[in-house]
Amino acid sequence: MTDQQVVAHPDAAASAEFARVPSDERIAKAAAALERNGIRPLLAATGADARGLVGSLLTDGAEVYNNTSQTLEAIGVADDIERSGRYQPLRLRLYRMDREMQAREMRTLAASPDYVVGSVHALTENGSLLIASASGSQLGPLASGAGHVILVIGAQKIVSDVATGMRRIYEYCYPLEDARARRAYGVPSGVNNILIINKVIIPGRVTAIIVSERLGF
Amino acid sequence: MSMFDYDARPVTPGVVLVGTRASHGAYAIRDFLSRNGYPFEWVDVDRADAVAAVLAGAGVDPSALPLCILPDGSRLPCATVEQVAAGLGMIAAPSRSEYDLMIVGAGPAGLAAAVNAASEGLRTVVMEAVAPGGQAGTTSMIENLLGFPNGISGSELATRAVVQARRFGAELLLARPLVGVSPDGLGHVAELSDGTLIRGRGVLFASGVEWRRLDVPGVDDLLGAGVYYGAGPSEALACTDSRVVVVGGGNSAGQAVVRFSRYAQQVTLLVRGRDLGASMSHYLIDQVTAIPNIEVRVRTQVVGIEADDRLRAVIVRSGDATEPAWLPVDALFICIGGAPRTDGAAGSGLVTNTAGYLVTGSEVAREPGIDWPLRREPLPLETSRPGVFAAGDVRYGSVKRCAAAIGEGSMAVALVHRRLAEVGGD
Repeated sequence: MTDQQVVAHPDAAASAEFARVPSDERIAKAAAALERNGIRPLLAATGADARGLVGSLLTDGAEVYNNTSQTLEAIGVADDIERSGRYQPLRLRLYRMDREMQAREMRTLAASPDYVVGSVHALTENGSLLIASASGSQLGPLASGAGHVILVIGAQKIVSDVATGMRRIYEYCYPLEDARARRAYGVPSGVNNILIINKVIIPGRVTAIIVSERLGF
Repeated sequence: MSMFDYDARPVTPGVVLVGTRASHGAYAIRDFLSRNGYPFEWVDVDRADAVAAVLAGAGVDPSALPLCILPDGSRLPCATVEQVAAGLGMIAAPSRSEYDLMIVGAGPAGLAAAVNAASEGLRTVVMEAVAPGGQAGTTSMIENLLGFPNGISGSELATRAVVQARRFGAELLLARPLVGVSPDGLGHVAELSDGTLIRGRGVLFASGVEWRRLDVPGVDDLLGAGVYYGAGPSEALACTDSRVVVVGGGNSAGQAVVRFSRYAQQVTLLVRGRDLGASMSHYLIDQVTAIPNIEVRVRTQVVGIEADDRLRAVIVRSGDATEPAWLPVDALFICIGGAPRTDGAAGSGLVTNTAGYLVTGSEVAREPGIDWPLRREPLPLETSRPGVFAAGDVRYGSVKRCAAAIGEGSMAVALVHRRLAEVGGD
């Protein structure tokens, strides 16, 4: 699915369906399902609360990779990781590497951070997480490469099931991300890779912070 | 959550620097930011659209250049390296009133010493004028360092060493040159350029070398405008599809041409000697001679340059040729060895040889007029002042290799222990 037609914005129906923050009951249902699937759920009332939770989960001095994320930027987590001096922000380290001469170092460094902090595109009521990526670079560390995974999820991303989650990616996230990619990089985006996490077998490896606010897309 | 993450750039704002290519001040800031791995956007003042974009439509006062816009939006007109470093929070005060070991320089020797000293419980501080890594920090790929079978870049080696040193408790004080080190009872006191005083029981000079200047008229006027000392990582991308000349016959020059060959249309290596074997490692010679867009010219020297607002050509004289040749070029990288960085040491009365390298160990006694105050002989790596040591490239007689510097820095810590035991308290 790399050659989708350019859609500047999601249509009104998609926005109405996928941008609404659900009820507390629905959030609690998704959180309980995550726990059953081996994913530690944490609830935050606001983005500021979520920011504090992320800070409490990260270890000082750890190698931390912050995925490109509107959510993380909006609540200040990206800034905390890249600028606070508390951690080793891998983005800064990768930035100063030579793409030609140090491609191998870059690949290994980005693939296995101590922590990856990011978000998802959909969380189902049964506790599955859906993440789409154009390059796929984010997906390996989320699935297994990173020592710990911290996901900050605006509650509007909760959907009933995986099929609806896929629709959310294509009909709602993709047009918004494509527009962002064109602004930021001058190139289109694409739903080239999708990771679905149904269950995590290493206890405590993945933490999902559900925020009762609309965050990111 | 992005679907597009292959560029791996920081997502938070970096520094914006507005200036002219030919400005030495702007070049110094670019070099400082680049060597410290700090993201920045360079905006040439001649690009009106770009200037308007970063200044929200406002014009720029030429007398305010270089203008630095910090990530928090604050602006530094006529910015200096020191102001930028302070604005980015890189200036820290020493946390202790006294250290067991003060290390001057954060290259391989200094960082190796810091890791070993701090891991053994010595209260350790490292003072670095520019950026961690030293001359090796600008090396694209070191392939003969033990334990790195696929090679490691100088900047990544420095990054890892800094993390390791800090993990053991060593402090790093960045972006302020050392003014001098004076005796202070049985210890020493170091003064940094901003007036900060630091007391230590032992001192290790691991200040390394800086690039030797190319003695050709006009070259230094073009610093940052086509002429560069060393081969910093920030310039490689800028050389895409261009014509690059590298001057030098050592490993630094060899590593530079290999790197630039990945980006540039043509890379020419100018070597004064008869062949590369005199000063370049065999593995690098094999690489350099096998890459099709690298041309090696031996017995060749730069004798002049042609430039307008930036470098356009170098004039070279080869072998026995009577007439110089004209070589069009977009960028000239000068990697012709080092001159010792002994600013803080030379003014402190430490003995150096005629080339300025610090004299240590048994060589100290051979210096005429030396007034060595102790009954014992100077320890290996100990300078003409008891308790002040030197390691790595700054030391007279050192082997100019990264691994050797690491070895000397590590070894120096054992000698510092002996000195501290001598003066008590170790």
